[in-house]
Amino acid sequence: MNSYSSKKASHHISRGTDVRRAAAGVFSLVMLLGAMTIFSGCKKRGFGKDAEGKVKVVVSIYPMYDFVQKIGGDQVAVKMLVPAGTEPHSWEPSTRDMLDLEDADMFVYNGAGIDAWAEDVLDTVQNKNLTVLEASEDVTLLKSGEDHHDEDEHNEEDGHEEHDHHHGEYDPHVWLSPKNAEKELATIADALIEKDPDHADVYRANLEAAKKECEALDSAFREKLSAYAGRYIVVAHEAYGYLCENYGLKQIGIEGVSADQEPDAARMREIIDMVKEYGIKCIFFEELVDPKVAKSIAEETGCETRALSPLDGLTKEDIDAGREYFSVMRDNLETLAASFE
Amino acid sequence: MRNTEKEVRRMPEILQYTYMQRALFVGLLLSVIVACLGTVMVHKRLSLIGDALSHSSLAGVALGLLMGFNPIVGAMSVCIIAAFSIEVIRKKLGNHSELAVAIVMSTGIGLAGVMSGFVKSSADFNSFLFGSIVAISSFEARLVMILSVIVLLAFILLYKELFYISFDEQAASISGVPVGTVNAIFTILTAVTVSIAARTVGALIVSSLLVVPVAAAMSIARSYRTTVLWAAFVSVCSTIGGLVLSFYLGLKPGGTIVLISVAFFLIFRCIAFFRGRSTSSKGA
Repeated sequence: MNSYSSKKASHHISRGTDVRRAAAGVFSLVMLLGAMTIFSGCKKRGFGKDAEGKVKVVVSIYPMYDFVQKIGGDQVAVKMLVPAGTEPHSWEPSTRDMLDLEDADMFVYNGAGIDAWAEDVLDTVQNKNLTVLEASEDVTLLKSGEDHHDEDEHNEEDGHEEHDHHHGEYDPHVWLSPKNAEKELATIADALIEKDPDHADVYRANLEAAKKECEALDSAFREKLSAYAGRYIVVAHEAYGYLCENYGLKQIGIEGVSADQEPDAARMREIIDMVKEYGIKCIFFEELVDPKVAKSIAEETGCETRALSPLDGLTKEDIDAGREYFSVMRDNLETLAASFE
Repeated sequence: MRNTEKEVRRMPEILQYTYMQRALFVGLLLSVIVACLGTVMVHKRLSLIGDALSHSSLAGVALGLLMGFNPIVGAMSVCIIAAFSIEVIRKKLGNHSELAVAIVMSTGIGLAGVMSGFVKSSADFNSFLFGSIVAISSFEARLVMILSVIVLLAFILLYKELFYISFDEQAASISGVPVGTVNAIFTILTAVTVSIAARTVGALIVSSLLVVPVAAAMSIARSYRTTVLWAAFVSVCSTIGGLVLSFYLGLKPGGTIVLISVAFFLIFRCIAFFRGRSTSSKGA
């Protein structure tokens, strides 16, 4: 009782300081807001003047960005929603990203589950002019974990249960097979021709050039990997289903189709036992996923580790250094071939 | 005779793998020191401090990645600052001291959320929040070993002082205990432990093992010392039990460890309940 009244008294006395405190509060709030505008100013939003007269395309993830740019060339202005260097499985759009969509002519997403948020986002976009394209629509999708062998069957089911909300039953990493990449490029070209018939010639020519590169890449993979058909690769997450199917490899994923799961101790043992049994010499990790687990398995089994890119995202440094789909895929091929030698 | 010799020589399957040896060893050390620190924190009514600090440590990781210094250093320093803020706010709020943890936790989550938007590589960032007990590097194992020695030494040397402070800070300071210094030491130790353990075994395990084993122990223990011992026992059993189940049944280790400790809590509550009934009936 006593302490209560004394508190009350001190409250009366300190009214003057309360005003000062409130002023300080308002001041710091203003500073904070100021800082936030400065920070957000770093990220340019909306298509600027440069985009005038071009087809304005918003894409979900890096492969789409690269493919649209390959077909569209100078005729398109492309914005990528998932920022460079971010693993797309764990990304969601912010409200400001919606502004880009309101301003765009076309939205290209991969589909098959890797950018599942795209469909939710589109429900709220009011842009009537927006053409929406699912680039993987012509690709025959592989069920995730289809190329598994019996040993990890139960685990595959575990993975499914947990990630049903995120990933459907299909492996979304279709672009990792050059043949599928070709299909996606063609789908994108068709859509661009329809949207901007004036530059149809440009798009057709670019598609032809890209197709040739895809074919060259495909035969390079065939040539280099044919000697290693039936080999196993241990990868950070099961992204390489299409690649494995095309070139006769088998993947063992440390984690499921989604990259952000923690392995359990039994799965670790299974992988270690398989690595020993099949005489696997290399564990592949991804630049955008912490290589902790891969390193731990490598240490246990005396394997080496190498980076293999599933291309779900490139870091900004890589993009600035001029790396793109074909150069990364060729590096992947070198890495794979070297690991088998 | 020969048979048993063979059995001894053949290690159980679970110990044949380096990653499991490491998981069991690091898990054992961390569960002992986390139980010790947890006993202190629970008695200080700061049971949610683990959650608050692990979120703050994430903000520290983001800061480290942004400013270009080592994220572990970032995590530790922000954790220490957060822990001291809790101490300061707690003293100011008197009766509502539990608010201190909530406020610092909110700040940590908020900061981590805002700053994660500026971090370029999600790999670095996520790895700090989701440490994995089945993938511990040798560097982390060594770090945990050093930390454990320091925490255990501090706990044993300052045992009496802690005991006083835990029950009545004012009385402790009147009887000449350097309350400020002891509090500061344990604030730092808790902060460092949480930031390292979150990276090594995951935030979930640390923040739960700080509290649940202590709660279980308090249900049946009759003294401060037995509380510490029971808490350590529950913590160690949960960790090892969780790892064994994860190894043989393929359960996720983090969640399993936490659930086992909760099971211990329930069992201990039942024991306390029946014990209470039998003593009261004897009294009647």
